[in-house]
Amino acid sequence: MTQTRDTFANLSTWEIALWYALVVISTAIFVWGVVRLVSKYRKGRGAFGLDEPGRRLVRTATVVFTHSWIKRRDPLAGLGHLLVFYGFLVLFIGTVILAFQDEVARPLLGFDFWQGWFYLGYSLFLDLFGVALVVGLGVFAVKRGILKPFRLDYWRPDRAEGEYDRRPYVVGDWAFLGILFLLALSGFLLEGFRIAVADPPFEAWSPAGWALGQAFIGLGLEGGAAESARLVTWWFHGVAALAFVSSIPFTKAVHMLTSPAGVALKDETAGKKLAPIRDDAKPEEVGYGIITDLSPKYLLQVDACTKCGKCHEACPATASGYPLSPRDLILDLREVAEGAMGIRAKLGVPPLYEEKRSVLGDPIRPETLWSCMQCMACVEICPVGIEHVPIINQLRRRLVERGEMDPMLQSTLETIYTSGNSFGEPKRKRGRWAKELEFEVKDIRKEPAEYLWFVGDYASFDPRNQRVTQSLARVLHHAGVDFGILYESERNAGCDVRRVGEEGLYTSLVEENVRAISGCEFERLLTADPHSFHTLKNEYPEFGGAWTVIHHSELLLELIESGKLVPKERLGVRITYHDPCHLGRYNGVYDAPREVLAAIGAELRDMPRCRDNSFCCGAGGGRIWMSELSKEGTPRPSEMRIEEALELGELDYFVVCCPKDVTMYEDAIKTTGHQGEIELRELSELVLESLDVPTRTPS
Amino acid sequence: MRIVVAVKQVGALGDEVEFTDDERDVAPEYLEFALNEWDSYATEEALRIRERLGEGEVVVVTAGDEEAEQALRRCLAMGADRATRVWSDALAGADPITVARALAAPVRVEEPDLVLAGVQSSDSIQSATGTALAELLELPRVAVVTKVDYDHAARRATVHRELEGGLVDVVEVATPALLTIQTGINEPRYATLRAIKQAEQKEIQVVDPDDLGEPPDRVRRMFVPPRGEGAEMLDGSPAEIAQRIAEIVRESLKA
Amino acid sequence: MNGVLVVAEHLRGRVRDVTRELVSAGRDLGGPVEVAVIAKDPSSLADAVNVEGVDSILNVAVEQEEFENDVYQQAVEALVRERRPDVILLGFTVNSMGYGPALAAKLGLGFASDVFSLRREDGALVVERAFYGAKINAEIEFPGKSQVLLLLRPTAWPPAEGQGSASVSDFSVSIGESRARHVEFVEVAASTDVDITQVDFLLSVGRGIGDADAIRQFEGLAAKMGATLSVSRPIVDAGWMPASRQVGQSGKTVKPKVYLAFGISGAVQHLAGIKASGTIIAVNTDPDASIFTVAHYGAVVDLFDVAEELEKLF
Repeated sequence: MTQTRDTFANLSTWEIALWYALVVISTAIFVWGVVRLVSKYRKGRGAFGLDEPGRRLVRTATVVFTHSWIKRRDPLAGLGHLLVFYGFLVLFIGTVILAFQDEVARPLLGFDFWQGWFYLGYSLFLDLFGVALVVGLGVFAVKRGILKPFRLDYWRPDRAEGEYDRRPYVVGDWAFLGILFLLALSGFLLEGFRIAVADPPFEAWSPAGWALGQAFIGLGLEGGAAESARLVTWWFHGVAALAFVSSIPFTKAVHMLTSPAGVALKDETAGKKLAPIRDDAKPEEVGYGIITDLSPKYLLQVDACTKCGKCHEACPATASGYPLSPRDLILDLREVAEGAMGIRAKLGVPPLYEEKRSVLGDPIRPETLWSCMQCMACVEICPVGIEHVPIINQLRRRLVERGEMDPMLQSTLETIYTSGNSFGEPKRKRGRWAKELEFEVKDIRKEPAEYLWFVGDYASFDPRNQRVTQSLARVLHHAGVDFGILYESERNAGCDVRRVGEEGLYTSLVEENVRAISGCEFERLLTADPHSFHTLKNEYPEFGGAWTVIHHSELLLELIESGKLVPKERLGVRITYHDPCHLGRYNGVYDAPREVLAAIGAELRDMPRCRDNSFCCGAGGGRIWMSELSKEGTPRPSEMRIEEALELGELDYFVVCCPKDVTMYEDAIKTTGHQGEIELRELSELVLESLDVPTRTPS
Repeated sequence: MRIVVAVKQVGALGDEVEFTDDERDVAPEYLEFALNEWDSYATEEALRIRERLGEGEVVVVTAGDEEAEQALRRCLAMGADRATRVWSDALAGADPITVARALAAPVRVEEPDLVLAGVQSSDSIQSATGTALAELLELPRVAVVTKVDYDHAARRATVHRELEGGLVDVVEVATPALLTIQTGINEPRYATLRAIKQAEQKEIQVVDPDDLGEPPDRVRRMFVPPRGEGAEMLDGSPAEIAQRIAEIVRESLKA
Repeated sequence: MNGVLVVAEHLRGRVRDVTRELVSAGRDLGGPVEVAVIAKDPSSLADAVNVEGVDSILNVAVEQEEFENDVYQQAVEALVRERRPDVILLGFTVNSMGYGPALAAKLGLGFASDVFSLRREDGALVVERAFYGAKINAEIEFPGKSQVLLLLRPTAWPPAEGQGSASVSDFSVSIGESRARHVEFVEVAASTDVDITQVDFLLSVGRGIGDADAIRQFEGLAAKMGATLSVSRPIVDAGWMPASRQVGQSGKTVKPKVYLAFGISGAVQHLAGIKASGTIIAVNTDPDASIFTVAHYGAVVDLFDVAEELEKLF
């Protein structure tokens, strides 16, 4: 007996014709849906952004097939999805092979390959992957139904209870699992019934189907009875499969198309390098106000979201009860896009939206946007490449353009405009910290030096941070480093001004800084402030300021490795280290500070959320300039972080290397009542301690 | 309908100062300049009146040198329609009455329905320019206004005048009139840098002042006031300082 | 004729303290001091004005019950022309801001406001006032001016006291149109709110406390310490507290036994409102804050740290 089977066994001609008609209909529905989605995306402003398609294709293929992004921080979900993904993929390819055999190879080429060893191998493969699919679905069902992790909870921090209804989402999630399970189950039953009809021996190569078949035979269901059951199941499975295919654009299943597309469209510089505004832009072209202001890429990306909740779980604003969840922001935008110009709009399914109505206010509340610290935890972990941070930035730009912002923020921006710094201090006071040192700090505007040290606002004006700056100066002096500062010609670097959405003020600060820096002679630009570091290194080049920029942790490591800095004391202190957002996630510098700490003999214990999962102190994105958002009883991000550190056991120091972290965590140690249990040290301060350099302050 | 707002670019000192050679003013490099805080409230009030009426023009006028155009541009960026600057060297460091004399002609030529000015400037704090200007324009005036209800059709404004101690005097005045505006009357809108840059494209009219007459006073000398003994400073940790404060409070309340 | 004309200020039937301070200043100049009372029934106020140092009182009867700037301007103009004082003293008050500079402009008088010191040098008048947010003082002179109008800073002179023996006479004026008419008074503060001028212990907060939420915290602290919460102007401007709690020249002048200030830098107008306090304690993070010049005790430390510690002690 030939090892094959007749796909259309016992079907009359009209039944086969009906089948093909259904194929055509379901395909047409599918195509209609996809076309509607694409035309929705094309209503966005600007281009899709598919530059370097070759490189993007390779990246996408790698990410999708290795599941490298999905399995991060949740290996179980990664495994589950791997099984479902490959299970479905293999079964799908199997169907395509079959279709090719039936519609092309046999009739047109007279070639019949679906038999013999090919058929047996095919059967085995598909059965195994079918089982994998069911196991994977089981994993998801357990996760959703029994384990119920926080990130799958659809609670919203920006709405009161009763103001929203997430049941459609919940139903959709279970329906998706359900239909896939139904397809797999009906497929196996179909196999079982088919095998129970004649029980061909080679069908043992379909182990699952074979087992079911034997069971049916055992129950007396064989021959003609099995054939009747098979026919019914054949139609059920077939119609269900076609219905599933046609439903893809309309349900959660759409992520099979949109998510890989989202991955392909993601930019590595997303959020790190923001797009400038054209000088002649009209007010309605500044930032995002209506749904069609979003770029086609973002309109697609909001459809890629699978509601996995990893961003929701990672977001420090959400954790502190601020009215922001990155997940809900994306989903809100999706609902507006769909309700204004998508499939739902076309079919009249509520909630419907007007294309030209501003999304600011409803459903996106200003306080939602102002809650963001621009820490990039969401973008970092999103398995489908959604770029929440630049989207929030664009929405903020429109709010700023309209002058709608927290009064404290407004007053700080006005202060930066008049004084060039966020403290409102006279420009002459910038270099004041240097006067208290035992040596002179070079004025790099007048003399060349190897390093131009861009100090930054907090490091220059805040008393606690001035001590850190002085420590670093002493370390560098001790190591014989040739450095100078800009004194009163330095301005706020603008990083947070940009992230707040005041692009005009940012540009003007950049222009002033570039002018001042360009007039100096130096080799490398040094800074101890990660915010300044980030924007000087990544965003200033676009405005004409391209220099080699190095963070002080990197320089300190270089000095230690080259022997210019020799720690005299191995400190032997127990510490934990907090990765600053703008140094770590934004720029990938995780090891340099740790190696410096190791070199000076500090015993490092990392917090559970470290490196790319570091938990923001709460100051970024301009939040340090805005009113407090956390409610009575809910700790602020910095307070949660201190508790996280203390859970590691007895520690001497909480180590940071960012001025805003110094400010936020000194405060948090006090407000959490842990003063005396742990102390804050900045990296430079510890290095100075390890050098055992006498410091005489002039009287 | 036209509202004219008289504004000033004021200088602010840090904690260091040096004087000019004749010691009659502060050396300009020790000053940082910005739009007078009261004038941003006045400009905002003018813009709101215009928005409420749905029509009209807001014109800002200043007596200042080229640097003062920064203040005008800030007002233009907030939404003012036009700006005029009057200047001659004789106006450098001038007193409020002389400034009022310089402003009178450019303001009069606009034939305004309302003239708004800030109650005072943060660098001179004379609280005089607005009222003196009103006199020169022969306009009725109300000083230290915290609320404006302008009825354009009836050519009348009902305003609140804020007296010491929180008492409010409700005053009715026929327009055209001049009002000096107090802080806190509204929330001045933010002028984005973009708007300020775009305002740089707008033309500012520059005029010479009319005859300024004799100044009503003359600065003979400026100097840093001697600091008194000052407070007895408390040292130590917050807990220690709190302890001392508690002691002082209890002692003083007994007296 | 050398002489000082003081224009009395009154509100709702009571003469304000500043009037008596002007008398003291007039005496410092050597007098003679003439006080003009412009009111509907000036004689009812004459007694309150008849303090030591006043040489004559002029009752100027007008139709209007309360202050209207055109009325005062016309009345004082008539006084200046007829009585020919060489120095006219007004308080640096909201009322005076409404007509003083106008009169000076119209009559070409010498003029300076917010004056806190004056003297004659060889017969010529020299006064002192502040510039640049009270960081700089200046000596002002009036070359070529035979008559000078000054607005004096309230509380800069002690109020003249005692019983004077001034001659009282009527001065008649005919007032023309008063274009800005008083309609009524409105008490902005809720009348149930506490009167901060009558309490012994004020805990006062200013811009340095950061945001509106901090108000709650300091209200709590004030309650624990048995103090009443008061604020400086920026807090009222931001809408965080009603004007009834505002201390300062445009708010209320207070004289508690203890004035404990957090995050108040000490703008001149604020200091004017607290100078009469028994003990002033100032807490601020800025060592250069002006409030330390009038405070008896000061601390440069984080406000919230100290506030937290204080809460434990009461």
